[in-house]
Amino acid sequence: MLRQVLAVTRINLASIPQRFWLSLSTVVAVGLVVMVLLSFLSMAAGFRRTLASSGADDVAIALRAGARAEVNSVIGRDQVRLLEDAPGLVRDAQGKPVSSAELYLVVDGIKRSSQTKANLPLRGIGEQGAAVRQGIRITGGRMFAPGSNEVVVGKSLLREFEGFELGRTVRLASGNWTVVGIFEADGSVFESEIWADLPVVQSLFNRNNVFQTMRMRLTGPDALTQLVAYNDGDPRLKLEVKSEKDYFADQSSETSDLIQKLGWPLAIAMALGALAGALNTMYSSVASRSVEIATLRAIGFGGFPAFVGTLVESLLLAAIGGVLGALFAWLIFDGFSASTLGASFTQVVFSFRLTPGLIGQGIALALVVGLIGGLLPAIRAARMPIVQGLQG
Amino acid sequence: MSDLPLVRLAGVSKGFVKGKDAITIFDKLDLAIPAGDFVAVMGPSGSGKSTLLNLLGGIDRPDTGEVQVAGSRIDALSEGELSAWRAAHIGFVFQFYNLMPMLTAAQNVELPLLLTRLGKADRRRHVETALTIVNLADRAKHYPREMSGGQQQRVAIARAIVSDPELLLCDEPTGDLDRTSADEILGMLKALNRDLGKTIVMVTHDPAAARYARRTLHLDKGHFEEKELAA
Amino acid sequence: MNDFLLIRKNLFRKKLRAILMIVSILVAFAIFGVLAAFERAFNAGEEVSEADRLVVVNKINFTQPLPIAYFNRVAAVEGVRQVTFANWFGGYYQDPKNFTVVMAVEPESYLKLISTEYAFTPEMTEAFVRNRTGALVGEQLAAKWGWKVGDRIPISSSIFSQKNGSTAWDVTIVGIFGKNKPQADTTLMLIQYAYFDETRSFGKDTIGWLVLKTASPALNDQVAKSIDGMFANSPYETATDTEKAFNKAFVAQLGNIALIVQLVVGAAFVTILMIVGNTMVMAIRERTREIAVLKTLGFSGGRVLRLVLGETLLLALIGGTAGLLLAWLATRAMSQSLGNFIPGLSLSPGIVAAAIGFMVLLGLATGLVPALNAFRLRIADGMGRG
Repeated sequence: MLRQVLAVTRINLASIPQRFWLSLSTVVAVGLVVMVLLSFLSMAAGFRRTLASSGADDVAIALRAGARAEVNSVIGRDQVRLLEDAPGLVRDAQGKPVSSAELYLVVDGIKRSSQTKANLPLRGIGEQGAAVRQGIRITGGRMFAPGSNEVVVGKSLLREFEGFELGRTVRLASGNWTVVGIFEADGSVFESEIWADLPVVQSLFNRNNVFQTMRMRLTGPDALTQLVAYNDGDPRLKLEVKSEKDYFADQSSETSDLIQKLGWPLAIAMALGALAGALNTMYSSVASRSVEIATLRAIGFGGFPAFVGTLVESLLLAAIGGVLGALFAWLIFDGFSASTLGASFTQVVFSFRLTPGLIGQGIALALVVGLIGGLLPAIRAARMPIVQGLQG
Repeated sequence: MSDLPLVRLAGVSKGFVKGKDAITIFDKLDLAIPAGDFVAVMGPSGSGKSTLLNLLGGIDRPDTGEVQVAGSRIDALSEGELSAWRAAHIGFVFQFYNLMPMLTAAQNVELPLLLTRLGKADRRRHVETALTIVNLADRAKHYPREMSGGQQQRVAIARAIVSDPELLLCDEPTGDLDRTSADEILGMLKALNRDLGKTIVMVTHDPAAARYARRTLHLDKGHFEEKELAA
Repeated sequence: MNDFLLIRKNLFRKKLRAILMIVSILVAFAIFGVLAAFERAFNAGEEVSEADRLVVVNKINFTQPLPIAYFNRVAAVEGVRQVTFANWFGGYYQDPKNFTVVMAVEPESYLKLISTEYAFTPEMTEAFVRNRTGALVGEQLAAKWGWKVGDRIPISSSIFSQKNGSTAWDVTIVGIFGKNKPQADTTLMLIQYAYFDETRSFGKDTIGWLVLKTASPALNDQVAKSIDGMFANSPYETATDTEKAFNKAFVAQLGNIALIVQLVVGAAFVTILMIVGNTMVMAIRERTREIAVLKTLGFSGGRVLRLVLGETLLLALIGGTAGLLLAWLATRAMSQSLGNFIPGLSLSPGIVAAAIGFMVLLGLATGLVPALNAFRLRIADGMGRG
């Protein structure tokens, strides 16, 4: 039986060149389906990873209740003071908590790719602003000096937007600021931000004594519960306190869900189109080999080898298409840098990420197309009456 | 039967190249067929029977020489002119009927009329007449696959005569039929020749079929030998 | 019978094959229709914008405030015919997830200025002006929550809070308005700036942006320059631009949506071009003998060419029309579920016209090679010599 299957499969595959263009069109159609799917999935994965890597478990963030995003939030100086006394925070030798009250403002920048204005976040951070976050490294220049008109910019922001090179002067609000440093933040969303000293930002933007969020380093896994209880128990606070990780996960889910919700239906719709092409190709394949199939049947071959041979041909074409699609998607999209508006109404720079898992999904979709596209024609091949086949 | 030749071949030569060999089919062939004649052309395969039919129908062109059919020098016509000329003057009947499988008998017969200026009602009348002549008026709505070979060939004859051409070219019209059906078809062709005055050139390899014609031309190595038959 | 019947019969002689091709074309056009509707919805702001309208925002960024005093100063600038202002409220209803567009506006001037796209009756205008806590609601938004005139509802802000600490403002719906332009979005609420400004806990006497009408679009540049010049080197510098440019720049912030749409639609069309084109070449090749017969019957090369092109055109039109129909159903379903997020999702006449254009192009492109093959076919070759 195995020998029969192999013999028929060989006949199938050898006949592909007779239908070269039709077979090629199936390969290309499947490949394009996989490319479209993977472009969307890698976009969603890249965006999600950027935001996921932004949030730490052991950092709590406090926002105004209902604000949902940093840009909307407002908290006052009194609330900042109350939070500084909260339980569960990591404190230094003097008993000061490792925390940073921050101001998050939106300023204009010019996007390199489109040369249009885009919203960039300017974050005024406290003394501990860098320490409260993990993985912040100055890769060029130095940190801004407290009390000065100096900024440091994230390396993603530098890549996507114009005019923030080291040493350049940028005009933000009524003041000129000098870019004195470039920083990395483990590929997180902070790399899309401009950082400056909080008091300077407050004064130059007429926001004295106004804060938007407070970040606090927590002592351990239970600390968040203590902090939340402390917040809920004080009527002067009534803020929304959650882990930074949860905050960014909420933000990423909307956008990446949207991208995925667009990507899968589009890919499935296109897969239906490609499936029509695959069925067409395989029915033609069966028709063009009807004499060979009937001859083999007449000399004693069974119907099963004809079935397998057709299915293998279909799966092979789809697999080639899937691998090519994944390969091109990887060449074109993996690492591709893009930016879009995030939940805080500012640009989030992220890179497309094509993971092996996603490639697996793409090739699986290709094989499903190949399987369904081959199944019905394979059944026809197996059931073909010998006499009719012999007549051609 | 008139003496004016409907078909006249003068000094026609035709060959083709197969691989490295140049093969001659006709060398300075002459032929005259008067209007109203019914000629059977016989000969071994490769003798040029089909090529002759193609030349007469304006499907193929001679390398040299003149082909005059129904008053036109068809070797001098352009492709477009030939199409129009064929539609007006020639009816074809093939060995394998060559009906359109997706059209009914009536629609198959109507096909050549799409090339005329006839209106819908006129076309229907012509189709009915043609189908009545071949005794298939009751099968108008049938598809080819629902008919026997003989019936299909009768539809093909109806299609060939529907636009009232002067010359019918038949290529082995009974080659695929049993004796009874073949006799029926041949009788029909004979009647068309006798009653409606159609000039018919029929290629065949069946001597029984050739007996229905007024005369038989034997084609061998590109030359004719004629045998008159008593009508 | 006529040529059309012949074409139709030819197309459907192998039903399965025809249906498969139609399905693949249908899919491509459904994708085109839906994505084009999305792209158009994103750019709706650009489409409805008026040529003589300018937007004045803070030069730092449009989310930064401007002093309310700018309203009168801009009104005095030469070439300014009408001016109004608005403040973004950051609204939501009941749950922060129910994001709602709410703007605090100066009633009289605002309604007058946007009356080109929205339909306000004199009664609702008067009611809105007179009622300090009144609100006007667009009909789509009103329909979403089942609001009626006279309803008193709390509308929350994710940005502002009242002096008493509450983040919700109670407003009374005094009118539900429709639209004058099909692309205009009516999922929004307008409330009185005076009410909002007096009660909010911070940001008093600041506004979000100004909208103005110039005496003529030709004056746009000059007016913009004089406004920005007037406030240069002040703590609140301005950036003035046409409404169209402003909306366009905003949409561009989301990313290059047009490019994404073009790439996906391009991929879908390349797919069907290859599938349908190759299948048609094969289908016509199978029919070689019949084409030769048609030619012997006297059908000219041109006529045979037209028959084949007619077949691919018919195929493209059937598949394309079905695809558009599907896209229409899909956008209608989606505009109900996504209406709040992406308003104005619909198939416009422009999209339909473009789709028909693509159908014709597809029909011609896929028919070209087989039609030429049929055109060139020599009868003697086609008959395979009997």
